[in-house]
Amino acid sequence: MSETGTQLKVLQTRPNQHKCWSCGDMRAEHFCGECGHVQPALPTDFFSFFGLPRRLELDEAKLEDAFYTLSRKLHPDMYSQASQREQLWSLEKTSQLNDAYRTLRDEIARTEYLLSLEGIQMEEQSKVATEQARALGVEKKQTVPPEFLEEAFELNMLLEEARMGEVDDDVREQLDATENSLTARLKGLRDELHKVWQRWDAGDVSATGAMVDVLNRRSYLRNLLRDVQEVLG
Amino acid sequence: MAYSDKVLDHYTNPRNVGTMDKGSAEVGTGLVGAPECGDVMKLQIRVNPETNVIEDAKFKTFGCGSAIASSSLATEWVKGKTVDEALQIKNTDIVKELSLPPVKIHCSVLAEDAIRAAISDWKKKNG
Ligand code: FES
Repeated sequence: MSETGTQLKVLQTRPNQHKCWSCGDMRAEHFCGECGHVQPALPTDFFSFFGLPRRLELDEAKLEDAFYTLSRKLHPDMYSQASQREQLWSLEKTSQLNDAYRTLRDEIARTEYLLSLEGIQMEEQSKVATEQARALGVEKKQTVPPEFLEEAFELNMLLEEARMGEVDDDVREQLDATENSLTARLKGLRDELHKVWQRWDAGDVSATGAMVDVLNRRSYLRNLLRDVQEVLG
Repeated sequence: MAYSDKVLDHYTNPRNVGTMDKGSAEVGTGLVGAPECGDVMKLQIRVNPETNVIEDAKFKTFGCGSAIASSSLATEWVKGKTVDEALQIKNTDIVKELSLPPVKIHCSVLAEDAIRAAISDWKKKNG
């Protein structure tokens, strides 16, 4: 393995890409490697922002370290005496930093973000699929199997009843068991997701389909778990 | 999120909530979900075998206010239409009628999906 996907090169020097506006040298992306001046906030994706390859397994502790180091170095206090444009750049970079960190540190947000970089918008998928089915006059395929929807529906019915009536011991027992099984299944999905990550990280681009599939099933289970817990109080 | 008056109206006073006998040959059932949010919707139609007119429609939605309003509206719209006419209903019609904001478009998609799924279930039963 050449790069482990965990190397954060933020603070290391990088090959010459842009010239530092201040001293002419440019080896670091956020700060000039020679003179240390902050650089303009260029549009960048969140992985590149942290000097990371587009891989999904990453060392979250290292990411956190890099985040705090950069936060400190970009802090407005450091720029109170600096030129106006440097003040602006440090602010812009801070906001990029916060967005990038918030997205990458969370497994699901990170996966969805990677998918969006690959042109797959989770928010758009059902609309697009519906439009295609309509245009072709065929039945749209649901993203999860019918039994799965059936189960979600039935559980919702049960929850609705429980909300309206009294949650007696029987119902409570049933919901407790459901809570446990949903928790276990979500855990299973997480393991599944990690396996799919490995496929992606190893260069298998077809893994994106499997990621979408896992995330879709997850959103139903997550809802159900939330609702079960709410009813159990 | 501020809902439009029409959404609120359908939401607080939903039309045609309920279920029909899934086993009946005249009934088509569509059960669909929105992967974006994990909401589920069931929409059923009862079709007159002579005329292919949808005589009754019922829905049950577990989801947000816009999804409930979209499905409530969908049942109103399909009633009295032939199956082929009902297939013309697009999610964008629902968006317009209910003034749904962009983040709620998938809720209207769910309602269109439900109509189409119910019709295709009915078609399968009636060969
Ligand atoms: S938010 Fe999912 S159906 Fe409305």
